[in-house]
Amino acid sequence: MRFKQLLKLVLINVSQNKVRSFLTTLGVIVGTATVFLVVAIGKGGEAQVSEQFSKLNVGSIMVMPAQRGKVVDPLTKKDAQLFTESDNIAHAFPVLRGNGDINYADFSLNGGFIAIPPEFQQSNNLTIQQGRALEDEDEKKKNKCAVLGAELANTLTDGNPSEIVGQSITINRRKFEVVGIYNRVGDTGSPFSYDDAAFIAYSVGEKYLLGTRANPTIMVEATGLETVQAAIDDITYILNETHRMGGAEQFRILDAGSRLAAAQESARTMSLLLLAVAVVVLIVSGIGIMNVMFVTVKERTGEIGILKAIGAKKREILGQFLAEAVVISLAGGVLGAVLGFLAVPLLKYLELPAVPSVGGIVLGLTFSVITGVFFGFYPAWKAAELSPIDALRYE
Amino acid sequence: MGENRLPVVDARDIVKVYQSGSEQLKVLDHVSIQVRRKDFIAILGPSGSGKSTLMHILGCLDLPTSGEYYLDGLDVLRLKENQLAEIRNKKLGFVFQKFNLLPRLTAIQNVVLPLLYRGIDEKEAMKLAEEKLSLLGLGERLNHKPNELSGGEQQRVAIARAIVGNPEVILADEPTGNLDSKSTKDVIGVFQELNKQGNTIVMITHDVEVARQANKIFYIRDGKIYDDGGLP
Repeated sequence: MRFKQLLKLVLINVSQNKVRSFLTTLGVIVGTATVFLVVAIGKGGEAQVSEQFSKLNVGSIMVMPAQRGKVVDPLTKKDAQLFTESDNIAHAFPVLRGNGDINYADFSLNGGFIAIPPEFQQSNNLTIQQGRALEDEDEKKKNKCAVLGAELANTLTDGNPSEIVGQSITINRRKFEVVGIYNRVGDTGSPFSYDDAAFIAYSVGEKYLLGTRANPTIMVEATGLETVQAAIDDITYILNETHRMGGAEQFRILDAGSRLAAAQESARTMSLLLLAVAVVVLIVSGIGIMNVMFVTVKERTGEIGILKAIGAKKREILGQFLAEAVVISLAGGVLGAVLGFLAVPLLKYLELPAVPSVGGIVLGLTFSVITGVFFGFYPAWKAAELSPIDALRYE
Repeated sequence: MGENRLPVVDARDIVKVYQSGSEQLKVLDHVSIQVRRKDFIAILGPSGSGKSTLMHILGCLDLPTSGEYYLDGLDVLRLKENQLAEIRNKKLGFVFQKFNLLPRLTAIQNVVLPLLYRGIDEKEAMKLAEEKLSLLGLGERLNHKPNELSGGEQQRVAIARAIVGNPEVILADEPTGNLDSKSTKDVIGVFQELNKQGNTIVMITHDVEVARQANKIFYIRDGKIYDDGGLP
């Protein structure tokens, strides 16, 4: 029998038992949808990671205290100066971060502020939208002026940021003059958002806002990607020299490259985990298909006898029942891919990045067909092996 | 005796033993039967006489415990399973007591199936199937499913399926067993007509009246076969 006619026969049989075929393939639907989503989430995670890191210079290194909270032996501005003496390091900026009440007119919010040496702005793409940037003068004279991130300015003024330049705000009840607003920078891959923060000169932050609690992070830029490791070695050496109490051990040195690798690794782990779930679902659904196919073969034993009596060969019986299993599972695969597609917006709503792809559909359908072939084979083989007379006599 | 009168079915000393537990049941006891081309033979016997087993062996559905069987000159007992399937497809046509139509297929789909297994092009096969069904008066019933047809009609579909591939022998196992008297007459008429056209028919029955419609009767009892005059 030719393939086209076999398929016709199979479709007649499968479609006569729609409800059963559907229930049989339910597992395949879920399994295929899972495979599809695994690929989508994997791709989404990949996209998210590369987006996060696209703005991050791979040569950047962060030095921070290893423990949160009170630090006995904090980093200092001096450490940053010492770092810049290394040939492998282009810049090193101490950065202070804090949280506090920020007030403008009668509006108050709890926000972040960042104290930076003015040069930090150039090397971190902080450009001015309005007003002026922080200047060396502000650092030297400890001027109580601030430049706001675009989002913060927007929030404080209720959508009318231009009015705030030249006005006063208070941070933790200390008065600052707003001298400028930065352009929006978006996600920088740094652990704090620039757009939501108020920036002040480093010396000002030290003096007025944090005082003795000043516990800076030092943001270092290696001269190039290839000098990152040498720069880390230099930093470690310097920290061991200058912080004799605890040495470099008490600090965490993070470079962008290893953070990127860690992020990719966790995205991959997530994908593998989901893929394992999908495989388990497909195996379980495959066992379901096998059961139903056994029942089908049993029910249609008489029919198999008739087919053998009119001249069907073993491989034709095998082909027919195998094709039935595959058609059922492939139909499940198609429905599963559709279900997966429908689930993508749901995942996005749950803030899980998912990017649907043709690759995901192909992989899902491949898995569904493999399930059908693998678990459909044994019942089909059993059907083919029936002796014609036993099959024909079966009641 | 002309060439065409050579036996198309030539079974000799067929023995079939079933093992049930420790007991051996000899269902066929040295049965020999020859059927020549264009014969219309009835094998008459009560239930349990072994006539169905003989039918299954003649139909290459089952193999004897011992004996020899030549079908159209082929040594059936030496053939592999795939070759047996091919013989059933090309040289034999079956008609069963319970019609044995595939319930989900229409009349014409049932009839066309043996041709498709033979590898004949679907269009050609459909044409042949329609011809046979029309010949049997089912031209209006092509797309009906078995459960939409009467018993007599179902059996005629089954006959159409048996003859569509121009077999050497038509084997009919109690073809009237599930039919009322009118349909019985009808179906027997069809067989007689087919025989007149040159078909070779072997029909098994327990009904003497039905058997009398054949040209020759064999009797089977307790696994032994007797021809016309030989019934003890």
